Amino acid sequence: MCGALGIVALVALLQGPGTRVTYRVRVVEDGVRELARGSVSGPAGTDLRFSLRGDSSEIEALFQIVPEGDTVLVSAEFFTKRRLGRSRRGLGLWEQDSYLRAVRLPWGDTARVHLFGRPRRTAVRGAGVWVEVALERGFSGGEGRPAEELQVADSTTDIRLEAVVRPRRARVVMNLVRGDTVSGPRGLDLVPESPARRVQLAMAGRSTTLEISLTRPDASPSARDRVLALDADVVCLRVVAPEVAQPVGVLCGRLNDVARRLPLPGGDTLVATFAWPSGR
Amino acid sequence: MSDDHETWLRQIDAELDGELSLVERAALAKHLATCSHCAGARASQLEVRVALARSAGDPHARVVPRPTIRGRALAFWAVVALALGVAAGWLAHGRWGGPGGSLEDSRAAIVVH
Repeated sequence: MCGALGIVALVALLQGPGTRVTYRVRVVEDGVRELARGSVSGPAGTDLRFSLRGDSSEIEALFQIVPEGDTVLVSAEFFTKRRLGRSRRGLGLWEQDSYLRAVRLPWGDTARVHLFGRPRRTAVRGAGVWVEVALERGFSGGEGRPAEELQVADSTTDIRLEAVVRPRRARVVMNLVRGDTVSGPRGLDLVPESPARRVQLAMAGRSTTLEISLTRPDASPSARDRVLALDADVVCLRVVAPEVAQPVGVLCGRLNDVARRLPLPGGDTLVATFAWPSGR
Repeated sequence: MSDDHETWLRQIDAELDGELSLVERAALAKHLATCSHCAGARASQLEVRVALARSAGDPHARVVPRPTIRGRALAFWAVVALALGVAAGWLAHGRWGGPGGSLEDSRAAIVVH
């Protein structure tokens, strides 16, 4: 009984925030030639964005995992483009496709992704390009930052691996600006989709109260952006003036410390920057 | 004189093709009896037609046989063309795949290795 409880506790711990996930990736051509090798790791919930671009085809995919006991469900959303030929005016004609693939495998096993479909029986044995993805998990040891590593053997093909992490929290630093006068910075760690908070910003002997909340951005209208989660690290700051209970506006941006400005009704301007929280 | 001669030569052609009436044939015979040039031309025309009949495999034909395609030869070449088409299609399919293939075949596939 105690042993079973211990196993359950261990599994729960491995799937919790202290778990670190690693995607080990190999890109192989014709079964023998290694084009690239690398890995992406990060806290639980880290996804892998993979892209391979050549002259006649572009394949991009977002790999996501869902741990289920000793196994893991790997799903990949693909966004592909293939050159079909040229138009009468000499421009390239491309065929665009997006689809989902999923497979379940034990932790530590390798999934082979045949990028251009399963090899044909009549084709040369091992022909084509495939990607081998091996999944590992372990304790994070306090390391919360994602990591990427890539060694490309053939530079004629553009191969990229990226870690995709959706922020659980974001560091928001705000100032009020009016002309040459700037208030002191006010920094807050905010959790997306949590209830709104009131903040007071003081400038030139008066204070301004704002109600702010952090949200995820609306789904992108671009299919490629949605499939590849290109806005994974984008957050939006919704600002409301509590006196009039009216929304003042929304500031959206990546967690990259770039200042974004929002005019307020009284003539002041709210300047906000978004960044990853410290201690990652 | 020259125009008359050309007319008689056309009459000779028509006679050998069996297209003259009795009156026209009689007039031509009367002319040939007095014109050695036209008689020689008729003999040449006849020799050419004999050669054509021989090359067509019928030296005793009454007229020059028209070229015909025999049924067996036609069937033979049709079978040859069909076999060549099938072989070329099979080789091309093995080398480059079908004409575009199905969409599902061209999509990525994940296999647990």
